Amino acid sequence: MDPIERLVSRVLGVGIAVAVALMLSGLALGVAKGEGVPAHVVPLADLVTGLTALDPAAWLSAGLLVLVATPFVRVGGSVVAFAVERDRRYVLVTAVVLAVMCLGVLLGRA
Amino acid sequence: MAVVIGILIVAFVAGVFGSMLGVGGGIIMVPVLSLAFGVPIKTAIATSIICVIATSSMAQTTFAARGMTNMRLGMFLEVATTVGALAGGITAVLIDGSILQACFAVLLFYVAWQMSRRRGDVVPVEGTVMPSSYYDPSQGRQVSYGVHGLGVGFTLSIVAGNVSGLLGVGGGAFKVPIMNLLMGVPLKATIATSNLMIGVTAATSAAIFYGRGYVDPRWAVPAALGILVGARIGPRFAIRLPARVLVLIFEVVLVVFGVLMLLKALGVGV
Repeated sequence: MDPIERLVSRVLGVGIAVAVALMLSGLALGVAKGEGVPAHVVPLADLVTGLTALDPAAWLSAGLLVLVATPFVRVGGSVVAFAVERDRRYVLVTAVVLAVMCLGVLLGRA
Repeated sequence: MAVVIGILIVAFVAGVFGSMLGVGGGIIMVPVLSLAFGVPIKTAIATSIICVIATSSMAQTTFAARGMTNMRLGMFLEVATTVGALAGGITAVLIDGSILQACFAVLLFYVAWQMSRRRGDVVPVEGTVMPSSYYDPSQGRQVSYGVHGLGVGFTLSIVAGNVSGLLGVGGGAFKVPIMNLLMGVPLKATIATSNLMIGVTAATSAAIFYGRGYVDPRWAVPAALGILVGARIGPRFAIRLPARVLVLIFEVVLVVFGVLMLLKALGVGV
């Protein structure tokens, strides 16, 4: 069993657990404040202020964002895994995939 | 409250089947959200994209730990899928959408027929190209295989990425047959690898949907939570069930999917 694959799988598991914890906290905050579940996500720029202000929308958004980030961790982890194996061809292939994913993020901000 | 419980249950089912077959839960989530719950289509698609990511990542915690995901193959084909998706605009100009849908419905029926003709899984052939091996509990042995047909697989993945981007359907239904039928990858490794790929593709577009404000926590949060529970269970079925049972379920899904797409092509709203 490949130790790096096992590590990547663990990191994914932690990421999912954090996402679930954030979403459940957001739901709990919404119920506690009597606001229910908000209809909109919070833009990235306002996320930190929202989290510190215990805004339910910010906590739910953070949970969804952590979830969306997990495939980036998966692919990024594989770049490292191939680098450790000194498989240059697949470091390149995987890095191309990661670059395209990041391009999607840039397009989303535009 | 009833709506939230409804979404949780549907998402759970979508998570089980999506992760078990490597097709993601989008096939189920989009029509159910838009038809049964009256969610606007772009919000439904954004929710479905979140669901596909949740399915993929949760399933990967199981599949990757078991060494079933063929990372090399997945990343190789992901390049093709992405190139195809980026070129989607060109095809949209050239071919009418409903003709494309009808062609793909026919193709899905053809794939289902090809899979049923073979009655079961491919016989794995060991080789030096992207070699991989995993333990299959239903056979009680280690399965080792090499990949072949890289050129055909890459080319068809460009087409699949192109058209699935256009039709708004997940590529999993096409990725699985391409890898399994044409590239000699055993079904369980195919499912694990397809599961990885759909998450990568979905994450790329999720950022765009989030940025444009189409993600609605009222739908996305309960859907994601339901999916995560389902996708924790689905891979266990995929690992334990004999491959021929999985093939059978997959064929049924392909036919249902084909019928839905044919109806769409004919203008019957789904």
